[in-house]
Amino acid sequence: MSVFLCEVKAHRAAAKMTTLRPFTCDDLFKFNNINLDPLTETYGIPFYLQYLAHWPEYFIVAEAPGGELMGYIMGKAEGSVAREEWHGHVTALSVAPEFRRLGLAAKLMEMLEEISERKGGFFVDLFVRVSNNVAVNMYKRLGYSVYRTVIEYYSASNGEPDEDAYDMRKALSRDTEKKSIIPLPHPVRPEDIE
Amino acid sequence: MTVQLTRSAAEPGQDTTTIKGLWVKPVDIHGDYLDNGNNKKAIQQGDKLLKKHKDLHCAKVLKAIGLQRTGKQDEAFILAQEVATLEPTDDNSLQALTILYREMHRPELVTKLYEAAVKKVPLSEEYHSHLFMAYARVGEYKKMQQAGMALYKIVPKNPYYFWSVMSLVMQAISAQDERLAQTMFLPLAERMVEKMVKEEKIEAEAEVQLYFMILERLGKCVEALEVIRGPLGEKLTSELQSRENKCMMLYRRLQRWPECNALAHKLLLRNPDDWQFYPSYFDSLFHLMDQSWSPPKEDEHCSEGSVHHTVAEVVRFVEERIKGEDSKECRPLRGPHLARLELMHRLRERGCPEESLLGEPLELMVQFFGKFGDKPCCITDLKLYLHLLAPEQHVQFINHLSEAVPLGERGEEGFAFPDDTKALQRHLCVCQLSRALGLHHSLDVDGKLLLITELKAHYRHGLKFGMNALKTELQFSDMYCLMAAHVYIDLWTETGDEDMAWRCLGLLQEGLSHSPSNAQFKLLMLLLYCRLGAFEPVVDLYSSLDAKHVQHDTIGFLLTRYAESLGQFAAASQSCNFSLRFFHSNQKDTSEYIIQAYKYGAFEKIPEFIALRNRLNQSLHFAQVRTERMLLDLFLEADIVLSLEESVKAMSLSAEEDDIPWDNMRDNRDLTVFTSWDPKERQLTDEHRRRSLEDEIVWLRIRSLTLRLVASLAALGHVPSQQNSEMINENGVADKPSVHSSLLSQLNQTLQTAAQMAEQRVQRPFLGPPSTRLASALSSGSCQCQAAALQLSVHLQELETAGLDDSSELQTQICNGFKSLAVQLREILTKCKGDLLEMKEAKLQTQPSLLENLIFFVETACIVLWMASYCSKILRPLKTSLQRKKKKKKDANMAMPAVVCGFQELTGSLQDLLTQAQEHIKGQESGTTALKLASLTLEGNTQDEASFMKAAMDKVQSSYLRSLQEVGDLLKKRAETVKNLKI
Repeated sequence: MSVFLCEVKAHRAAAKMTTLRPFTCDDLFKFNNINLDPLTETYGIPFYLQYLAHWPEYFIVAEAPGGELMGYIMGKAEGSVAREEWHGHVTALSVAPEFRRLGLAAKLMEMLEEISERKGGFFVDLFVRVSNNVAVNMYKRLGYSVYRTVIEYYSASNGEPDEDAYDMRKALSRDTEKKSIIPLPHPVRPEDIE
Repeated sequence: MTVQLTRSAAEPGQDTTTIKGLWVKPVDIHGDYLDNGNNKKAIQQGDKLLKKHKDLHCAKVLKAIGLQRTGKQDEAFILAQEVATLEPTDDNSLQALTILYREMHRPELVTKLYEAAVKKVPLSEEYHSHLFMAYARVGEYKKMQQAGMALYKIVPKNPYYFWSVMSLVMQAISAQDERLAQTMFLPLAERMVEKMVKEEKIEAEAEVQLYFMILERLGKCVEALEVIRGPLGEKLTSELQSRENKCMMLYRRLQRWPECNALAHKLLLRNPDDWQFYPSYFDSLFHLMDQSWSPPKEDEHCSEGSVHHTVAEVVRFVEERIKGEDSKECRPLRGPHLARLELMHRLRERGCPEESLLGEPLELMVQFFGKFGDKPCCITDLKLYLHLLAPEQHVQFINHLSEAVPLGERGEEGFAFPDDTKALQRHLCVCQLSRALGLHHSLDVDGKLLLITELKAHYRHGLKFGMNALKTELQFSDMYCLMAAHVYIDLWTETGDEDMAWRCLGLLQEGLSHSPSNAQFKLLMLLLYCRLGAFEPVVDLYSSLDAKHVQHDTIGFLLTRYAESLGQFAAASQSCNFSLRFFHSNQKDTSEYIIQAYKYGAFEKIPEFIALRNRLNQSLHFAQVRTERMLLDLFLEADIVLSLEESVKAMSLSAEEDDIPWDNMRDNRDLTVFTSWDPKERQLTDEHRRRSLEDEIVWLRIRSLTLRLVASLAALGHVPSQQNSEMINENGVADKPSVHSSLLSQLNQTLQTAAQMAEQRVQRPFLGPPSTRLASALSSGSCQCQAAALQLSVHLQELETAGLDDSSELQTQICNGFKSLAVQLREILTKCKGDLLEMKEAKLQTQPSLLENLIFFVETACIVLWMASYCSKILRPLKTSLQRKKKKKKDANMAMPAVVCGFQELTGSLQDLLTQAQEHIKGQESGTTALKLASLTLEGNTQDEASFMKAAMDKVQSSYLRSLQEVGDLLKKRAETVKNLKI
């Protein structure tokens, strides 16, 4: 796969009504309504730039007709093709409270899956806090299943115990036998995952 | 080494971010020490190695890294240059030096290093690519262009060629002269790509993207369109819908309205919820109508398909999409419904009679509410179109909607509640719409109080739907609570009744107890506490928001605006530090990713990353925290911990240098972070934003000039001025006294502008940007007093030159200045007098402006004391020589010169004022402590409400005490320094 990863600010001339478009650096200054959520991490600038430089097509933001940011998804493609581990990964997915219950997260996931299909990925995966029932159930509805549990994946800063994560997966069409999603029998530790 | 720039490829050469793994033993151990942060061990190890192998270059460099990291920058630099001048060509030395230079923030030295290396090893692909990246780090676009081509000549791989092309584009983007970009750089870039196209050498998507970028910047839309629609365009596969989006953009720019229209409706057929195409669809319709466009004969169809060129067709299309959604089994999309309102809005704007084809706006909005009223975003959607309703329809509209909200039986209080969360959301939406239509604002005081009661009842009732909510989840009814808080704020600002603010805080505190992660509650409480003069509770609230990184730039102003001005100096320093740490890492961080973007061919991102870097470097907040942090350090420490001169030197502050980008200041504040449903006429406007930025800049200018004047005062005190006058720098830098007077005249000018601005103050929305300290600084008199103090130093310089004899006029002038300073300072102190917190008629009342004035007094006292200290330095030798003369003449009766007497009078007054201020603070401390908040009955509130209110009051009381203590401590230390003013 010899593809440059590059994209274009698609709507320079477009009016305010854009919905789904590539995330740009300027959006970092407008995403507070999404990121002031307790489960949404605000990363350092380098983290976002790394994604924008490597996988710009995987970083998509939704904008409301009034110009407010509604939510975004940030992901990447990684893994070895030879070992059939080449896959799309969801790094972050968040929707602002006032734009929930519109099916936006599902739409963003669908787009990430479509991009991963085009890249010939075998599956899409993501990590989610085991306590985050709302998210776990949503991913299940979207066809994801728990592949393994990662022990103490989320470190807590405020003295509370570290939390486990589910590594959830959904097979893509290239994985015809759905081998990639057969659950592991035992939980793993964070240092054991790649 | 792979040079194919796919995502799995690394930077040509190795990853230089860590030293581990680069070295052969025994250097390996050495590298390990550095990686583990054991720098001392690394230095020792380096020494050991160097004893054995005198010329082991990389050992020297590793030692230098150790030195650099232990703060011995100068030694590190000398050692590194020893190696660099030998122009090393071994990997280890080159990479270690690269790391070192990067840590020294001297990326330009890396370019020199690899320039030398490629001269010696001209065929090294690796060194050439390092050279390219080194140029990229410092933005040397022309050299990048050459380095890219040099690489391509050694190894003809496409990415190298296109690096060179992109470097041309960057030269175009950064060119001062747009003509140069359009006539030289971009056409050259275009030709370079065309050559590859002709030779059929285009391989990757990124190459097509870059081609498109060039054509677009050249305005060659027709050519760009050909590329996108042609075989090259087929390579654009990564981004979804990339070709369609680009075509649409080009059709618009080319004003090819038939194609634009046809493509838009084709895409809308595919996804009727994709907003971005509705405006194109509607715009193209109007353009076609304006051109009286008619469809050509059948065989000449538009390349994108059929065109809708009449309102009727477009109306039909939108209605069909709506029908399509309505007949769907699954969740209907709101796009088409909203599009109908958008179309109506546009038709009305044009005065099109066909508006009636769509129906009545009121009816359409009621329908929209019927379908989507249970979605939290219904308010956000509908508020865009409320202007379609006539004012007399507002109440009717709300009544209509209310009918569609299923509520249960009326309870004891007379309120009926929803039975499920969907009904709750609908009811809430009606409340939000009422507020957005101004119906809350037109209520009288009793009406508003009744409304609050109703909202609170709904809030508390709704909590039952979220009994099992996690701490991280919001309550379904949280927004009622927030809205009730907004109505309290309306009452507070309209009537001035502070009780409303306390109730509001109590309610939000209650809200937070049920919904501990609600950011809106926290933000509003934070703002209320600040307005009440209490910063202490803000620290915890802000930290629980977990704001990080870029958020320091966007909402950090909420902290830094108030911390210092409310006398919480420790917290103020910390707030500035949070932000500064973020900004300082920006420069290094961004250049790393600019390089990554070259490697991965994300060419569009390169200008974007550079724009981001500039946006952060030019941030208003950055300039503010830089300035305030230094002022704060001086106020707290100069002449207490270190002398003023030493303090100024320690922070490498220079009077001459102005590092604030006044002409390109970026306002990165997120002024929409507060949720608000206020009607349009009460919302924050662009004019508000502009004025707010103007205010901020003027205030920053005053602070920055004050800071530089203090630095200049320190410099004047440092060097005896006889030498000074001869010290006009060869480099044309002005001498110190003239820098001082130029800064003074700038300050006076700025103060004049500020005074004019303060006269025309406009009321801003409560939830808008906070006003600066400017107006209160002027009305307290502190600005004027500080400027007068700094001005006096000029006359003292004159006195120093003139001497004590024959300068009676000057002395009188200086003495008058001294007197006036004492009077002004006394006036500021008078404005601090009064009770910060008092209980009146069983109510708690704050006077935060007294606290703010107290801080102005302290800051001004600091500056006056520094000036006095400078005076003492000048007067002391003059007096000594006078006494010597006296002894010679044996004339004990010779009178003391006026200026000396005047100065002694001044120090006496200062002593007196500082004592008074400390007594005032002591009085306030005991008065505030003595307030028995527990005895407040807080009538009209339930027991729970009263306890939440009291919790808030306790916090304010405690915060005031802390501020008083911090200010008192500082004044005590300052009072000590008066002793040093004896001459």
